[in-house]
Amino acid sequence: MYLLKSFLLFKTKFNHNKMRLFYGVILRFFLFVFLQAFIFNQLEISPYVHVMISPLYIMLLPFDTPVIRLLLASFILGLCIDSLSNTFGLHASSLVIFAYLRPLVFRWFSPREGYDFIKTPSIFDMGNYWFLMVFGILLLLHHLWFFTMESFSFDELLLILLKTLPSSMLSFIVCIILQTLFLKRSK
Amino acid sequence: MSVPKSNFFTTASYISGVLFEVEHTITKHFNLEENNLNLQKENILLRKKVPSFLYNDSPDSLFQKDLSYRQQFSYIPSTIINSTTTKRNNFFTINVGQNHKISRGMGVFSSNGVVGIIHSSSNHFSLVKSVLTSDINIDVMIKDVGAFGLLKWDGKDPRFATIYGITNDISVPIGSSVITRGGGGIFPKGISVGRVKSVKSIEGKPVWRIQIELSEKYGSLENVYVLRNVFIEEFSSLQNEIQSQ
Repeated sequence: MYLLKSFLLFKTKFNHNKMRLFYGVILRFFLFVFLQAFIFNQLEISPYVHVMISPLYIMLLPFDTPVIRLLLASFILGLCIDSLSNTFGLHASSLVIFAYLRPLVFRWFSPREGYDFIKTPSIFDMGNYWFLMVFGILLLLHHLWFFTMESFSFDELLLILLKTLPSSMLSFIVCIILQTLFLKRSK
Repeated sequence: MSVPKSNFFTTASYISGVLFEVEHTITKHFNLEENNLNLQKENILLRKKVPSFLYNDSPDSLFQKDLSYRQQFSYIPSTIINSTTTKRNNFFTINVGQNHKISRGMGVFSSNGVVGIIHSSSNHFSLVKSVLTSDINIDVMIKDVGAFGLLKWDGKDPRFATIYGITNDISVPIGSSVITRGGGGIFPKGISVGRVKSVKSIEGKPVWRIQIELSEKYGSLENVYVLRNVFIEEFSSLQNEIQSQ
């Protein structure tokens, strides 16, 4: 338990605010696994549209989360979703790619005075333009990696692109709706 | 691409199997009417073959039990508790497992047609690699022509699949029915697969690219049978003998 706590918290020192954040992150983990495996994987709209909301969990982790913890959290989340949707590591690998690229893309779009660690990387705290650019790029790369690994052959390049574009667009819209439903607006 | 044979991180594992069985108790009612109708149709088809239900044209002769036929397959009824149809590789979870003597490589079919092959199984659940995967490669034949080919799925539409490997000196009429060939000992000969929809030639190759319309609707599929070949050990030991030489 101590290891788990220290894995997810920046400071292991007991802190009421940090404790609340910790339990929030754990609760959100199960919520995302449930939503992805039992709702969005069962929505079979078309072979070209596959809604994936799990990247939003990695996106919403705090700014000061170290890269190793990001990678581990994304791998565990991906493995949980994989074991509930028979994808044999596809979600895990694409979420790890997402978590690996997150600090890179964050650096490209960082404000002049750097990120404020009190804020969270959500659409309300960081603004529409920032979220559209950062999450859009990351989500597109995540979906591209997912569908490339799923087909595992460049013969189906056109099919991969035809799947990536509509899927990432719909995933992006669903992620915005989820944030407006479940996140508090900061003042 | 080959996928791992372990079933720990799949829906055939105990925890996910139980979770999906709970989900199935709710979602099974969505296609109940259609599934019941399919089962009724199959019952009628089978009842037509029962001797005591037929009119006897020559009452003097008695029905004799035919001793020259022996049962080759045993059938294990099961229910699909989780399935997808729109991914590149679609796997179904069924609620029977090693406790029902199910193992890797057995065939699965339903009243409408072929469904897939068992990929892995735990004690209570099994994972079926369905027709809708990239490397399913089921031996099929075109019934009237008698030509053999391999069934593949291109990942675009769960209603259609493609047959490769039939040379273009054989003329294939559109609309002819496609059945399993019965090679490999997985399926018996004659399980329905679909109907030929279009026949195209591949540039630079002497083979047809035959698109077929699958006879099974995988989206609303629920009741399936697992096939266990009684002679599979005899069959595979013979095959291994050839390979070891």
